[in-house]
Amino acid sequence: MKKNKITTYKSLILLLSVLVFTISCEKWNDSDINIDPDKPSDVSMSLILPGIQQSMGYNLVGNNSVRTNNIWMQIFEGVDRQSFTEGRYQLTAADTGNLWNPIYTEMMMNCTLIIEKANEEGIESPNFEGVAQVLMATSLGIGTDLFGDMPFTEAFKGGENVLSPTYDGQESIYTMINTLLDDAIVNLNNSSNTISVSGDVIYDGDLDLWTKAAYSLKARHAIQLSALNGNSAYTAALEALENGFTSNDDDMLVPWEDANRNPIYQFMEERTDIRMGAYLIDLLLATDDPRLPFYAEEDADGNYSGSALRSQDAGASYPGPNLAAFDAPTKLMTYSELKFIEAEAKFVLGQTGAQEAYEEAVAASMLRITGDANTAWLDANINGDPVTLEKIMTQKYIDGAATNQPYADYRRTGFPGLTLASDAVISEIPLRFPYPQAELDYNTQNVPSVTLLTKLWWDQ
Amino acid sequence: MKMKTTLSGILTLLLAFVVHISYAQEKAISGTITDQDGLPLPGVNIVILGTTTGTQSDFDGLYTIRASEGQTLLFTYVGQKDIRKVVGAGNTIDVQMQDDAQALDEVVVTAVGITRSEKGLGYNVQSVEAEAISVKPNADLVNSLSGATSGVQIVNSSGEAGASTFITIRGSASITGNNQPLFVVNGQPIDSGGGFSGTGGVNTSNRTIDINPDDIATLSVLKGGAATALYGVRAANGAIIITTKSGKNLTQRKIEFHTSIGVDVVSNLPARQKKYAQGSAGTWIGGSAFSWGPEISSLEYDGDTSYIWDPNGRLVAKGTGNGTPAQYYDPFDFFQNGYQLNNRFSISNGTEQGDYFFSLSNLEQTGIIPNNTYGRTTVRLNGSTKISESIKFGANMAYTNSRAVQIQKGSNVSGIMLGLLRTATTFDNSAGYEFADGSQRNYRNGGGYDNPYWVANNIAYEEDVNRFTGNINLNIQFTDELSLNYNTGIDWYNTKYVDRFKIGSRGNPTGYLGEYMEFNSVFNSDLLLTYRKDISDKLDMSITLGNNFFSDYNKFLFGDATGLEIPDFYQLNNSSANTTQTGTANYRTSAVFADLQVSYDDIIFLGFTGRNDWATTMPQQNKSAFYPSASLGFVFSELGDLKSDFFSFGKLRASAARTANIAPVYSTSNYYEAANGGDGWTGDANGISYQFPYQDQTAFFVDDDLGNSDLKHETQDTWEVGADLRFFKSRLGIDFTYFNNTNTDLLMAVPIAPSSGFNSVFLNAAAMESKGVEISLTANPIKTEDFSWDFVANYTQFTNIVTALADGVDNIFLGGFTTPQVRAVVGEEYRSIFGEDWYRDNNGNILINDDPTDSYRDGYPMTNTAQGLVPIGNFNPDWTANITNTITYKNLSLSFLIDIKKGGVMYNGTAFAMNYFGVSERTVNREVYYNTDGSIDFNATPEENLVVMDGVYGHIDSNGDIVTNGVKNVTPVVQDQEWFTGQGSNFGGGPSSAAMEPADWVRLRDLTFAYNLPEIGDVIKGGQIYFSGRNLWIDTPYSGIDPETNLGGATNAQGMDYFNSPGTRSYTLGLKLTF
Repeated sequence: MKKNKITTYKSLILLLSVLVFTISCEKWNDSDINIDPDKPSDVSMSLILPGIQQSMGYNLVGNNSVRTNNIWMQIFEGVDRQSFTEGRYQLTAADTGNLWNPIYTEMMMNCTLIIEKANEEGIESPNFEGVAQVLMATSLGIGTDLFGDMPFTEAFKGGENVLSPTYDGQESIYTMINTLLDDAIVNLNNSSNTISVSGDVIYDGDLDLWTKAAYSLKARHAIQLSALNGNSAYTAALEALENGFTSNDDDMLVPWEDANRNPIYQFMEERTDIRMGAYLIDLLLATDDPRLPFYAEEDADGNYSGSALRSQDAGASYPGPNLAAFDAPTKLMTYSELKFIEAEAKFVLGQTGAQEAYEEAVAASMLRITGDANTAWLDANINGDPVTLEKIMTQKYIDGAATNQPYADYRRTGFPGLTLASDAVISEIPLRFPYPQAELDYNTQNVPSVTLLTKLWWDQ
Repeated sequence: MKMKTTLSGILTLLLAFVVHISYAQEKAISGTITDQDGLPLPGVNIVILGTTTGTQSDFDGLYTIRASEGQTLLFTYVGQKDIRKVVGAGNTIDVQMQDDAQALDEVVVTAVGITRSEKGLGYNVQSVEAEAISVKPNADLVNSLSGATSGVQIVNSSGEAGASTFITIRGSASITGNNQPLFVVNGQPIDSGGGFSGTGGVNTSNRTIDINPDDIATLSVLKGGAATALYGVRAANGAIIITTKSGKNLTQRKIEFHTSIGVDVVSNLPARQKKYAQGSAGTWIGGSAFSWGPEISSLEYDGDTSYIWDPNGRLVAKGTGNGTPAQYYDPFDFFQNGYQLNNRFSISNGTEQGDYFFSLSNLEQTGIIPNNTYGRTTVRLNGSTKISESIKFGANMAYTNSRAVQIQKGSNVSGIMLGLLRTATTFDNSAGYEFADGSQRNYRNGGGYDNPYWVANNIAYEEDVNRFTGNINLNIQFTDELSLNYNTGIDWYNTKYVDRFKIGSRGNPTGYLGEYMEFNSVFNSDLLLTYRKDISDKLDMSITLGNNFFSDYNKFLFGDATGLEIPDFYQLNNSSANTTQTGTANYRTSAVFADLQVSYDDIIFLGFTGRNDWATTMPQQNKSAFYPSASLGFVFSELGDLKSDFFSFGKLRASAARTANIAPVYSTSNYYEAANGGDGWTGDANGISYQFPYQDQTAFFVDDDLGNSDLKHETQDTWEVGADLRFFKSRLGIDFTYFNNTNTDLLMAVPIAPSSGFNSVFLNAAAMESKGVEISLTANPIKTEDFSWDFVANYTQFTNIVTALADGVDNIFLGGFTTPQVRAVVGEEYRSIFGEDWYRDNNGNILINDDPTDSYRDGYPMTNTAQGLVPIGNFNPDWTANITNTITYKNLSLSFLIDIKKGGVMYNGTAFAMNYFGVSERTVNREVYYNTDGSIDFNATPEENLVVMDGVYGHIDSNGDIVTNGVKNVTPVVQDQEWFTGQGSNFGGGPSSAAMEPADWVRLRDLTFAYNLPEIGDVIKGGQIYFSGRNLWIDTPYSGIDPETNLGGATNAQGMDYFNSPGTRSYTLGLKLTF
């Protein structure tokens, strides 16, 4: 018994020491175990930049943006399922999150991070900052032309515990777009730069092209205020575009490739619910426009045809290679758009050069889309044909397929004159996108109350 | 047809055994059994130890049994002490049983392996009979727990072989985290996760499927906080404690062989219309998505062989074709019988010095969907030995290989049910799914959805899991009072899967390959020092001190590729578009704990536990947390003269505890992650539409889920009270429990406005409450020598309300679609389903449009898109109940389990979408004729087609306001194509609320009919032949498939049916033999 007791006490001591060991055992519970070995805690600017650009190319001019508003613009026609429903102007808060979220969390949040990194002491990189500012302005610009008021001054501060940012009025958003672009122009031309721009899939670090893009975007947003500001809008646009794009080579395009395919291409592969709209195709058919086979595939009968409004004609032409080839680049802004802006501004202001700008715009469009000048067709249909606002806007509409500009211009100018869908659930073509459910749910106190018929600030 | 051969072989074998009953050198032993007072005791069980041979005493206490000299007879009876008698030279053995003070003292295994007498427990623990689990035809043992206890909710996601199962105990304790219980096998916590699948993809298994159900010796369900408190940070969801078989208590070698063969057949299916052909607006259109064509009876084929989509050609009006009439094709011919063949073998023995148990098992299962299979092979060796009189050493080791081939399901252009159910009525998917050039033949003439036959043959998700679990156990009995127990073990497994899409699928037109490898490792170590002391005659105490180390490590490597260059060659390099990902999850915890039990005179049982945990996933300042519990069992029937022939036992229970949950790994800080995204419309199998490498670059985004360095442990405070009352010599028992769980500081990724730059931030934000009652009734109304009837019923009713979410957040997305979706919403039952609804008046009546000038059709309701998503139901039942009857007559026994779920609704998105395509049965009354003014021609339109929508007249004015006079709608309308492709379906813009259906059920979940074999010759000591059936009968108002289903598998988002794969009915024939 005695021996047994000794064993017991020995064991007890052993056990107690183990228990004490446990408590002091910091090694087992080392905090470093809670560091994720598969994710970096910091990355360089050049590793952030291409992600932003890719997301912009896929989302800003993709299936949650231009697919919907180009259905409304009758460039596309929704023949089935959700695309059909959207064709009668049903678009709800549940539908817009897939556009809004990447604008904030992928594009502008990461632009903010680049801007912060570009200002780090000792490694100031104004050129990188300038590129990020242009991208930020592009995203904010396309965003506000669809949504109107948006959070900006209080946005991207989740890390500082600002979880429900207030909304800035569209007027101040427009001011901020211009400030961003003005700052960008200064920064892009700053020669005291430490880290040169790389990882850039749009302009491969060409600062001149980024500067041109900044001016061109200023022109886009200047003319967007035409209904509001009248002539001063046109003047501002003309002033900006002087330093803008000078050829199709300057276009601000996001490339696609085998491993990452064009968004409309992917939609047609997986969903197939849209066809070309009859309104656009009929316009092209009327003049036997050479852009037709680039905008539309042949239909079942070997012709080009659009699905008539609300007809659900699934046999109509699929979107063609310029819009929906797997490697068709998506357009953030083009030279042709800028020339149309010039033509419109000069025309409305009564300045000379409107005709030339119009002709150059269509020629640029023709060349970009078909790869060929098609001079004969231009001579027969465009060149020398006295310009009117309607002609400018109609050609701009044709040129702008699969971009957000036809919808922005339609609300601003009323061109082209489109018919309301017969089964429309509202009385006009929507004047905006609704705010997404996540903002309604988690930023309830700030999100403006709107309907699809609430006008944007520049549309008042 | 291999199965058939096997089946007939088994039948022959069975017959041979039954006929060949021969008697060995045994003799008849007989005797009388009396109780303490000398009165005859009927119904006493007598078995020969080490065999399954047994009998019962008759009404006069008499028994006879054949046994050999040297064998031991074991006499058992509820409320009496067990008695063992060795068969000697004589032929008579009389026995007097003794009342057992601890008779009701079933020992149950509780937290960290501490065994306790059930009699004194201050909380509810239910044990499930292992024998019942072993004869049920479920690969995953969790399915076999369905209906076996109270307080446990189990939802099998579908009838596919290897499909997942979702289990929760007493509701949910976490908003977005794991709500499934901890599984512990032989003291070793094991990984039971997996089985969630999203709305598309495939159903995968939970890792509980890796356990061979035949290896289970005991299974107890620890429900409340006091029961699980010693598991500390892993205790909040309850625990399932499994002990596997051993050779203990055996006196001679025992070999068991168990074989069973089963057939699964598809159960409930949605009804389709068979009257109208493919097409639209009454016209046949080849390749049309719709079945809104002409009447099938009016059509015949044109026989044009140049029309590749149908071997019979196009459909044309009768009299204009080749005379071959059009016909309806039944898409459900696609389903086949599923078979399962399950063989189990074990050998075990025990001696004074030690014992062993060795088992082998193999299960091969084919599903109701062609090429869906599941297989499992297990090996187990459990052993223990005495190193000295006071030192015992044991080890348990198990290896499992689980292999599954899963087929696409759900909301997915390749989904089996999606393709089958949308297929036009006059299109025969089975008439070839592939053309000579390898392109696909489907009802959309190459567009739309994959032909289900193409899917089953060309897309496969093949999963292979190799798993080893093992633990060693050292027990030192220093003195009678002091003992030490050390238990440590591992759970290691590798999961690999290959996900292959042949070139030409609608979702992955250029082909897809996903390759996944995952390594998981759980380590656990428990050291317990226990001191027991009988302080006085009446006062006993025991105290246990312990510590625990635990680690959980997971690492995966995933690569995928689209754009396969060489067809049918599945290798990541066979593409220029491949990506890779890796991920790690690693955490550790350590703990010290103490357990104190005091009992007084078998009347008062007091228990206290305390545990302090440290977890690496928590920030430094909050690493440590303390969890106490206290429980009281008051056996009041021991007081005075309360006990009588009528009243046998009475106990009141009360307990309270605090338990917890820790944060997920790596949630205390923020990282960058590989840049990629999806737009909700396009993308690969994971919804990724764009990713890197791209343009020869790689890229990162800042993680859009913000971490938080101030996280605290989640806290669960629980209390429960209960009573356990038994009557008529314990032949009637009722057990009642009321429980209340309050969960606070629940961690969640709180969704925030995306304009903050992030989609969520991790916070201790939410609170939830779960409270309810559990009632169990056990009865043994009839018990005679030959016949007995046992009855067990369980009733569960509880509410599980979300009481708080983060500031400014009134709901959390748990799963589902943009509409409907499953959410956690403050003040609502957890897992409420939200969706759009009709416009309604203030009294909740649906508004029926009466404004001829607006764009809505008059006489129909209108979807209120303006108000967004509103609560439209909840899958959670009002109550559930189950009743098991077991009737035994001599060697025959019949056991059946009726399972009732009352209340709860489910989104029947399947039917809602079928409306749009014109294939659901409810679209059949579509024929309508109009007058020239556009009004319905009531003379020509068949009367059965006229319906009056339920609601009141009203409309929406130009301000969006509701205008109604409250008058009940009486306008007859027709549910025609315009209605169903409009607001009568999801795609047409109809509200999800219109697709909610009650998902109640009463079902015959299990039925087992068994014949217990007597001893046969020298070799066969006993056995059983049984027939077992599952879901033989289901009564439900749900119009789709078996409503025990879930789209996302084992996830918190329950109540979604969107082209889910159907459930099954199973028939199994089995044979168990003991040698």
